[in-house]
Amino acid sequence: MMADAISATEFRLLRDLIERLCGIALGDEKTYLVETRLAPLLAENGCQDFGAFYRLVSSDPSPQLRDKIVDAMTTNETLWFRDTHPFSILRDRLLPQLAADLSQGSRFRIRIWSAASSTGQEPYSIAMTIHEFCRSNPAVRPDQFEILATDISPSALFVAKLGRYDQAAIARGLPEPLRDRYFHQEGHVWTVNDELKRMVTFRKFNLQDPMEALGRFDIVFLRYVAIYFSDGFKRQIYGGIARLLAPEGHLIISAVESLRGISEDFQQLTHGSGSYYQCQLS
Amino acid sequence: MKKVLSVDDSGVMRRIIGRTVEVLGYGFLEAANGVEALEVIARNHEEIALVILDVNMPEMNGFEVLSRLKADPVLKAIPVMMLTTEADRPRIIQAIQAGAVNYLCKPFQADDLTVKIAESLGEGF
Ligand SMILES: C[S@@+](CC[C@H](N)C(=O)[O-])C[C@H]1O[C@@H](n2cnc3c(N)ncnc32)[C@H](O)[C@@H]1O
Repeated sequence: MMADAISATEFRLLRDLIERLCGIALGDEKTYLVETRLAPLLAENGCQDFGAFYRLVSSDPSPQLRDKIVDAMTTNETLWFRDTHPFSILRDRLLPQLAADLSQGSRFRIRIWSAASSTGQEPYSIAMTIHEFCRSNPAVRPDQFEILATDISPSALFVAKLGRYDQAAIARGLPEPLRDRYFHQEGHVWTVNDELKRMVTFRKFNLQDPMEALGRFDIVFLRYVAIYFSDGFKRQIYGGIARLLAPEGHLIISAVESLRGISEDFQQLTHGSGSYYQCQLS
Repeated sequence: MKKVLSVDDSGVMRRIIGRTVEVLGYGFLEAANGVEALEVIARNHEEIALVILDVNMPEMNGFEVLSRLKADPVLKAIPVMMLTTEADRPRIIQAIQAGAVNYLCKPFQADDLTVKIAESLGEGF
């Protein structure tokens, strides 16, 4: 038995629900996406149509069904050193200044937030960049850096925390010398070394929740996730990040995203053909 | 050790799944068709944590394997995840109604496969 096709009203209700749950904004042209991705959940819950499913979710306070909706609507795709630029900016621009602050004693610890860390490639790429930097700058040590990695998906976080990757995942963007230095291999599985794992803390966090509790950060990476959000939600997130950043702290977004028309709190800076943003709030 | 069984007529796909399963710290079993799958399950059901069933297989397809498992008083407790294509989505709904816990459409990215399998195993953070 097939569920009835989604009506325009049902689509609007579910679209709003999805946006409330995780911020993902869907235009009318995404009707098929809601229909095909949620249909199995209707079946699983014995709902005849999308209206019945909406009523079920609205009356069910437990997080399980809501988590499943979010999982069905999000993608976890990621890779090592994605876009390359952010990591050369970190190495050539941000770390030298922060290292100087550390050795002068004007700062004791550097905090970095990877705000949609998926299966861990982004925070571990940050950790490797820092480790490499410390190898050539013995005045600073990796334990002076703390990386917080968060995501809304519990299963993506589980994989990230395991720090285990197969050949196909490890090959995407990870240079072999770094792979051999920071991972060990058993059969087909590559596991992140403890020295790198120690630098990263994983935690479940929905970007819609208040950020203040996470503390202050010197650098925030928010990449390939705001593209799915409405302008209103983007404003809220970038505004929150601006207040979370230390004075003159930095925000790094993806090559396909932009703050133009969204946030005035940041100044765009360039390094080679890549760009990054500095917080203007004091 | 708890194991995951991949039932797929494509050896390449079984290998991809096998490596993902290994990454998650589970053992791996494989079967190239539905009949072989039922044999493997009968012999190993106590240690099977998840069956990943390809929908399109010659002879006994994924739906038939699923309905046999769900009709068995002991085997029906084993979670099943379906592997399908866009074109099969309407039938996937039937599979979920028949008791499959999750599904993934091919083609997929490696990270999405890993996360889906972790979800189906009930692994969270
Ligand atoms: C495509 S991945 C990007 C991973 C990484 N930042 C990169 O650039 O490779 C997007 C991630 O955002 C997460 N996500 C989606 N909505 C979210 C929300 N409201 N709060 C936190 N994470 C969210 C998803 O679970 C997914 O893991």
